Amino acid sequence: MSLHHELPPDKHEQLVKAVRLEWLSIVYLVTAVTLLYFTLGSSQAMKAAWVEDILGLTPPIAFLVASRVRNRKPNDRFPYGYHRATAIAYLCASVALLALGGFILYDSVSKLARFEHPPIDLVKPFGDRPVWLGWLMLGALAYSTVPQVILGRRKQPLAAELNDKVLYADAEMNRADWMTGVAAMLGIVGIGLGLWWADAVAASIISVDIVRDGAKNLRVAVDDLMDKEPTVVDDSRADPLPLWIKNELMLMDWVADAEVRLREEGHVFVGEAFVVPVDDTDLIGRMERANQRLRGLDWRLHELVIAAVREIDRPEPAREP
Amino acid sequence: MGSPGAAGPVRRGRAALAAAVLLALAAAGCGIPRDPERTLDRVQGGTLRAGITASEPWTTLEGGRPGGVEVELVERFAGELGARVEWVDGSEADLMAALEVRELDLVVGGLTADTPWQAKAAITRSYATTRVVVAVPASQPPPGDIAGMRVAVEAGSDAAGILEDKTDAVPVRVADVTKVKDSPVVVDEWLLDNLGLRDTGVHLRKDKHVMAAPLGENAFLVRLERFLIAHQAEVPALLDAAAGR
Repeated sequence: MSLHHELPPDKHEQLVKAVRLEWLSIVYLVTAVTLLYFTLGSSQAMKAAWVEDILGLTPPIAFLVASRVRNRKPNDRFPYGYHRATAIAYLCASVALLALGGFILYDSVSKLARFEHPPIDLVKPFGDRPVWLGWLMLGALAYSTVPQVILGRRKQPLAAELNDKVLYADAEMNRADWMTGVAAMLGIVGIGLGLWWADAVAASIISVDIVRDGAKNLRVAVDDLMDKEPTVVDDSRADPLPLWIKNELMLMDWVADAEVRLREEGHVFVGEAFVVPVDDTDLIGRMERANQRLRGLDWRLHELVIAAVREIDRPEPAREP
Repeated sequence: MGSPGAAGPVRRGRAALAAAVLLALAAAGCGIPRDPERTLDRVQGGTLRAGITASEPWTTLEGGRPGGVEVELVERFAGELGARVEWVDGSEADLMAALEVRELDLVVGGLTADTPWQAKAAITRSYATTRVVVAVPASQPPPGDIAGMRVAVEAGSDAAGILEDKTDAVPVRVADVTKVKDSPVVVDEWLLDNLGLRDTGVHLRKDKHVMAAPLGENAFLVRLERFLIAHQAEVPALLDAAAGR
């Protein structure tokens, strides 16, 4: 019933661009994580920024894995294909984000409560001239912040074009990274000025942000695995496509009643349309033509099963909006 | 996922402000880092309260008088700051507890970089590295292998245990290794020349020597480290002086 074209040709160029950006992100994040590792010292804020960057690797990896796996055709062992692999990876990553954010938050708050003063001493990275490690920390933080914000800005429009939620979440995280960077920098500058608490406060702020990111992503991942109704790429409202398909069906003269349910599989939608035909005349032919027409409505509609029924059993409206 | 870019211009404004603050700080960066509790200011031209626990040759307390390599270094550091040193002796645990609450400004006593006190004190960069080596008299040819060799080692030292567990040599525990004549012996590397010994190349342990300062007093810590970096070349001579005594 379905052809395996997941992206229309005009979107292909955007996909290539997105893949290139995500590879760039991975290479860049690895260098940033390495740089931060060597300048961690005993700063909590640095540790938090470091962890955030490590976890920032998961969305690009998830995206790249997904962009390969989704081209794999369904087989007899996995008749629905491999789309869900990404959702599972995403679930794991968001749980990790939540747990690590929580740990750093606890660690920073308890350091504040114990009035722990972070020591930052000298290092000799360039031959014989010793430098205060704090200066190197600021440099490393700048390197781990500015390019991320730029990458995020470039990814966001692509995510919308490709209807890709992983890419969108990644772009959002990158764009929000300036906050982490500036908070961590203020923490280090605070230590420099003799404000011992600045570092732990900055780390707490960053870890709250990590926890929030984790919770947000966890919700999206769980929604996805539970086959929630499709939403637009920024998750702000329901996607109008199911309603549109239903209306198209209702407009067909052989259809007495219709109901459509879709779920998201990665960046595409699959689902069923139930129709109550007015009579049995040429039912198979009518359904085939309807399917062809509906599949032409939107590239994101990947697979639609039309089932003829005598009566439609409609789902109850959810209690919460 | 929130509404994207809703607060765009505000965010950019804040980022620019933060950047300006950072820039201003960088310009005024000469006085950075500062001490939260002003240790350096207080010590300069005043008193340096130093904790000491005996650990030859780094620190000694013969007749209650502090001496040794680290005491010499601390006295010189205090001299640079125009400060007088007030020595307090005690166990490492007592001194670290006092350092943690900033009743002391510095603790010495043969501390090494793997010290377990990292959470209570700021540990400096190491200013000297020493090794404990298996040596033979310089008159003998260096042995190819120490397996089965009888090696004198100080009784009750960790070197004795390492020699027993990690090598195939036969440890002979003695009270004072410097009195051993004409036999393979485990000694500190810096004693080799004084005792007329030759390194066999078998090193039992390596120590990076450090001092401890109060946590977070970064101006003081950085000043101390600058001093140690500038004077670390003098450590071998100080060790020889201690050995020759």
